[in-house]
Amino acid sequence: MSALILLTVFGIIVLYLGFANNKKLLAPVAITGLVISMVLSLKDWGLGSKYFHDMMIIDNFSIAFNVSMLIITILIFLFGINYYQRMEHHVAEQYALMIFALTGAFLMTSFSNLIMLFLGIEILSIPLYILAGGKKTSYRSNEASFKYFLLGSFATAFFLFGIALVYGASATFYLPEIKTYIASFNGHLPPMVMLGLLFILIGVAFKVAVAPFHFWSPDVYEGSPTLVTAFMATVVKTAGFAAFYRLLGMGLLPLPAPLEKTLWVMTGLSLLVGNLAALNQSNFKRLLAYSAIVHTGFMMLAMLSQHDSSATVLLYYTFVYSLATVPLFIIFIHMKRASEGLEELSIFRGLYKQKPWMAVFMTILLMSLAGLPPTAGFLAKYRVFILSISRGYLAISIFAILMAIIGIYYYFYVLREAFSESDNPNPIEISKLNAVLIVVCGVAVLLLGVFFFQIPI
Amino acid sequence: MILLIILLIPIITGLFLLFLRNPATVRIIALLSAVVNLILTLGLIITIPSASYSVNWDNFMGTQFSLGFDGISLIMLLLTNLLFPFIILSGFTRSHVQIPVLNFLILFTQSALIGVFLAQNAFLFYIFWELTLIPVYFILLLWGGENRRAITLKFFIYTLTGSLFLLFGIIFLFQLTPGLHTTDFSAFNQLHIAAHTQTWLFWVLFIAFAIKMPVFPFHTWQPSTYTMASKQGVMILAGVLTKMGIYGALRFLFPIVPQGVLYWQNTVIIMCLIGVIYASVIAFRQTNIKRLIAFSSMAHISLMAAAMFAVNYYSTQGLLFQVISHGVTIVALFYMVHLIQERTSTLDLSQMGGLKLAAPNMAILLLIIILGSIALPLTSGFVGEFLIIMGLAKLSVWFAAFGGTTMILGAIYMLYAYQRIMLGDKNPALVKVKDIRTLDYFILIPLIAAIIILGIYPQPILNLVEVSVNSMQKLFLPANEMVNLFVR
Repeated sequence: MSALILLTVFGIIVLYLGFANNKKLLAPVAITGLVISMVLSLKDWGLGSKYFHDMMIIDNFSIAFNVSMLIITILIFLFGINYYQRMEHHVAEQYALMIFALTGAFLMTSFSNLIMLFLGIEILSIPLYILAGGKKTSYRSNEASFKYFLLGSFATAFFLFGIALVYGASATFYLPEIKTYIASFNGHLPPMVMLGLLFILIGVAFKVAVAPFHFWSPDVYEGSPTLVTAFMATVVKTAGFAAFYRLLGMGLLPLPAPLEKTLWVMTGLSLLVGNLAALNQSNFKRLLAYSAIVHTGFMMLAMLSQHDSSATVLLYYTFVYSLATVPLFIIFIHMKRASEGLEELSIFRGLYKQKPWMAVFMTILLMSLAGLPPTAGFLAKYRVFILSISRGYLAISIFAILMAIIGIYYYFYVLREAFSESDNPNPIEISKLNAVLIVVCGVAVLLLGVFFFQIPI
Repeated sequence: MILLIILLIPIITGLFLLFLRNPATVRIIALLSAVVNLILTLGLIITIPSASYSVNWDNFMGTQFSLGFDGISLIMLLLTNLLFPFIILSGFTRSHVQIPVLNFLILFTQSALIGVFLAQNAFLFYIFWELTLIPVYFILLLWGGENRRAITLKFFIYTLTGSLFLLFGIIFLFQLTPGLHTTDFSAFNQLHIAAHTQTWLFWVLFIAFAIKMPVFPFHTWQPSTYTMASKQGVMILAGVLTKMGIYGALRFLFPIVPQGVLYWQNTVIIMCLIGVIYASVIAFRQTNIKRLIAFSSMAHISLMAAAMFAVNYYSTQGLLFQVISHGVTIVALFYMVHLIQERTSTLDLSQMGGLKLAAPNMAILLLIIILGSIALPLTSGFVGEFLIIMGLAKLSVWFAAFGGTTMILGAIYMLYAYQRIMLGDKNPALVKVKDIRTLDYFILIPLIAAIIILGIYPQPILNLVEVSVNSMQKLFLPANEMVNLFVR
């Protein structure tokens, strides 16, 4: 809890530092706040404390996810030092809004009451609506912000309506009580509860961009400033999945057959739609948006398998995925600068020629996303498959494997561009800090692939 | 410990090479490491008493990382470490393009291959299996020929498709193991899987290996990839990577799903034999030598795959012998093709002819290699293919008859190609072609010597695999006749 409060306080401090017009101080202060918050979070490990009449339960699950999100946010802020150097105004707001979004994410990982989940989702989303429109003069950024806001509110309305329906039937917001209420019907739920649950699922599915509720994500990813995209693709997705897992894996699963079937269909659709659309992308950000949808499918697979270690695998998967995605976006930023603002895949041409080490680390990161050994991405997919196969979901596992193959095609398409010749004479410039961070991420991805990490949560 | 050293020498040397600048030093260090590895391997083979071939364990980091070997692994290990010095040596040319990176990738491939052949744990096996693909992908992508970007991607996706099915199979087996699940081969081998499960699991596991070998109809990546690959790329691909498919099948299919093997035995053998004839007939029609040899290699590999599924004493021995023999021959052949290409700057058969007049020594060496490839008696190819056909004949005379066509058809198209390249009237375009250099002798003479020596005295290799072949027979036929073909 202290971690959450401290995070809010630091968000406000950073916001006020903006008045002092001292840009150099922002990132260090923000990062200090995150680090302290991380230490405080870890102090609660194993305690399992409850707050606000059990509306919030901070257990190992939430701490593990919080820390993983903090690490990724710190990474993003470190990259932000260079990224925001060119920006004249409103830098403090960028950091502050991300910190505020993170507090929402904290609520999402530790709710035990649907109202708390709603609050978490809203606190997470509203800063994101603003962040997406960060480039005020850019047409695309405005479009992204507006689209995200409209569709997001729409999904929130669904979600709220679902909560209302469930509350109307069961007279409670508490997850465990809802679960016992559902179980008392032996699978024959009244339509009102069924509809309510469906709406709740739709609301959360929208946040994590599961097909068929994914349509906002490519446009928003493309339009937003790239660092915000990185934040959305990683931290927001992690938070969404933590919430999803708390709602289903630790809460409502096993659901009545129609709802569970819906979820499986959504999983399959995410894998299929994400892949097929990604095959046809020439814009790197859109490609990663669609590939994120595919990864969502794999995470769904881990969650729906309802294995004892689903939570650990989900944590591992989201963390590893984030660790590879953030530096890829950063490499993209540098290539975009070198090619005067283009976002096509072809801007990666000539990377190997100019910066061989960067091409090597990009290879490692893309291999991790594609799920090839010895990277962590492989281990993550391997562990997901172990869950699903050992629970006997053979057909969907084979389908997921086929989809993983398609994924390899487009990731290696990007890679192929990086290793081919270019006629672009502009030099790729990269600061020492960013270079070190990319290397650290690449090495971490390799090490996590070699050494298992098993956190009992 | 020795296994770990053999595994790590290439990759560590390779990483070290990345920090060097001088191409000459890089090459020499790479060659030295490969030679040291070869010596260690030979030492290992000589010092280990034959009784303990079955399984040797070296445990590092618990069971996840366990290396060990039996006769089959040893053959593969020997082949890998035998060929890599020559592959590295063949890069001692005037080209100076990114030699450190190239040699790093080659040594990386070597380490990964050694890992595949020594892994005693399916998970580890899979990691090395995929790892081989990464450096090979870059060797093909960065040093390949025409249209390399599309072809490389196709090759990559194709082989990975198979691998991911293998991954599914491994996980499926993993969750079948009792108690605390494990991916150790020893645990897999003791699984008694229901017969109907074995019938489908067979294909899940086999597809990866069938693509790698490649067996008809999974071969479509192979000719174009071989044709566009650089000299060293194609030597690695044809010489060693194809053997990974054979090794994987021997390691996975026979001990783990024996009933599946027996159930599909005839289907797979027929597929392989179709491949034999199909590849031979297509090889006939090729005008590009490299493509021709690619198809000839496919015909030979298909025959080896057929032998594998014949599962009897002779065929298995022939198969394992042929692994070495084919590896050596095909590497020599592809090296020769590149010598010809460098000198005539074409691969088109119709533009050659009369090369013998300009390069008589080359003509002689090429002839010997070709004779080895078409399995003339007293060459190593003969021993292997003879055993294989004998094994096939024990199953069905028809199989042997169709299998035997490789030798006949092979003789026709290879000699025809030889005729078109070397013989014929003086070719004005090729008069100034230089004959073989000293360096080329260093590569070709040892390889040719191996072809001939193994053809005359195949016993060391056959002894090496004896125990493993016998233990494999026990999986299928409890009371098989255990006579060694060649009297000691």
